[in-house]
Amino acid sequence: MATSMAASKRPFLTLPFLLPSWSDSITLGSRRYQSSYRRTKQRLRVKPDASFGSSNQGHDQIIYNPPSSAPSVYHTPSKFLPSNDVRRSMRTEDTATVNATSEINELPNVYRSDPERKYHLTPADVEEIRKLRLSDPMTWSRHKLAKRFECSPLFIALVCEASPEKKQIQRQVLEAVQSQWGPKRRMAREDRKLRREAWGRDE
Amino acid sequence: MKRVQLQRWSSTVLSPRARTVSRLHQHLYGAGSRCQSTASPLQVDSNAQSNLGDASFEDVELMKHVRSAHKRKGNLKYPSPPVDAAINSAKLAALHARLYLPSRLPPQTLARALVDASADPNADFNNESLATLGHDLLTYYTTEHLLCTYPRLPLTVIFAAMYAYAGPKTLAAMAREWGVEHASLPGGEVDPGLLQFRRVEPGTDIDATPNARTPRPYAAQKAWRMTVTSKIFYDDEFGDAFKGPATSGEGVTAELASATFVRAVMGAIYLHAGRPAAKRFFEQHFLSRHLNISELFNFSQPARDLARLCARENFEPPVARIISETGRKSRHPVFVVGIFSGQDKLGEGAGASLIEARERAALSALKGWYLYSPLNVRVPSSMEEEGAASWKPVYVDLGEVIV
Repeated sequence: MATSMAASKRPFLTLPFLLPSWSDSITLGSRRYQSSYRRTKQRLRVKPDASFGSSNQGHDQIIYNPPSSAPSVYHTPSKFLPSNDVRRSMRTEDTATVNATSEINELPNVYRSDPERKYHLTPADVEEIRKLRLSDPMTWSRHKLAKRFECSPLFIALVCEASPEKKQIQRQVLEAVQSQWGPKRRMAREDRKLRREAWGRDE
Repeated sequence: MKRVQLQRWSSTVLSPRARTVSRLHQHLYGAGSRCQSTASPLQVDSNAQSNLGDASFEDVELMKHVRSAHKRKGNLKYPSPPVDAAINSAKLAALHARLYLPSRLPPQTLARALVDASADPNADFNNESLATLGHDLLTYYTTEHLLCTYPRLPLTVIFAAMYAYAGPKTLAAMAREWGVEHASLPGGEVDPGLLQFRRVEPGTDIDATPNARTPRPYAAQKAWRMTVTSKIFYDDEFGDAFKGPATSGEGVTAELASATFVRAVMGAIYLHAGRPAAKRFFEQHFLSRHLNISELFNFSQPARDLARLCARENFEPPVARIISETGRKSRHPVFVVGIFSGQDKLGEGAGASLIEARERAALSALKGWYLYSPLNVRVPSSMEEEGAASWKPVYVDLGEVIV
């Protein structure tokens, strides 16, 4: 049957006056791939989704197969609905039926491991951090302090601030590095910054 | 016989005398010659006729022409077209019909709505009072619609949405869509169907005008931080500083004049046809404009904001998990990351890196929170209708997330 289809297609393609004028140039090109027509057709023969089946339960049903796309932001998650909203009780059935609990816990985290929070630093430690950072900012950088006190660099930044001299030195170092950049790298960095800003606008 | 074109040289040779703008002068001399009511006869006509009385022309056609020319000449001394010209204006009737305005709204009022305060400083003949009423109605209806439909919107987004619905740019675009043309120069002889305003002198810097009307203290300190909350208090409904009052000699931009006209139409409908007609006009012309509110958001740190939100609402802290991914080692990977709080998915986002996907997921979760809309939204002004059901209080939110 496939051969007959191919045979019926061929004369149509070889008669250029039947086709619009723009296809003159591509008729020759498309003829080359005639042999792969059957293979392509075979690959495209995808089994339809189960929900398209004729008789699932024997009663009328709505076929709902939304295309794979990002969910609409106007669809408020059930958790965000206020307690007196009707939709909250209507949606509970859907989520309860699926054994979603185990599935969600099996999904991998974006980060390798969750940082364990210890809450072990005392006010005396914080004083120590501040003193060290003020006394010798070149040795006691944020990362070194974080390593010594077993906390995150973010916590060091929350607790104390670098001295103005250290900030000035750091700025000069950054300028020296950036002065070495060529136009390509500079543009790439700027583009990266713009792209990052575009995330916030959801573009 | 060739007709004498009196009409042309009457307008070129006899230049109109400059009108004084002082209120007192207007009340003393102006009030006698200009009447709001269409029924009272204009003094100009009787003047023209008495002048023409001693001239005895036999040709009736010519006399008619001369009379109309004299009438036109008489109109030249007014800054805006006389009230009785509105009935004969085809442009005005067309605009009235095109907007499907209620028949109770006479063309004279529509003509008055087209006269800006910069064209005619007399408050009895310009659209300033109508525009003030229309502006208040417009902003009230827009605000109640926004606050009742999306009770959780942040204030900056409300300001942006207000500007998009009832801001001067939108109103100017609407006037253009309605087919309102501008008169090149205002005057008593122009067609009352044209929008009349005095234009800004070319080359003037519009933003440079000193802002004297703002009630904000220390407004001169540009470097000081301006909180969003203070904008409710000191600024206008769009979150912008109040503009200075338009002084009589100055012109206005075409955008501002068009916006004032649209507001004046709203006010005129309210005055002549009543509240239901004004509400209907608002729904048909303003609310029917499509505005995608989800595009008005801009977050700098959505993940942090979402964590704060979950802490405030006593939800489990949000966790980002990879739902699916493709091509991690390729040049164009795609990650789909979902943000979960406990067992509930709050948002989902796709991106070329894990960080991007997580940020987008947090963003969609935040938008899901802010764009919550209750079912069967009713606005307070719906209680003004006949036989309205008893009022149920609308949903009021705690407010936006403050980090």
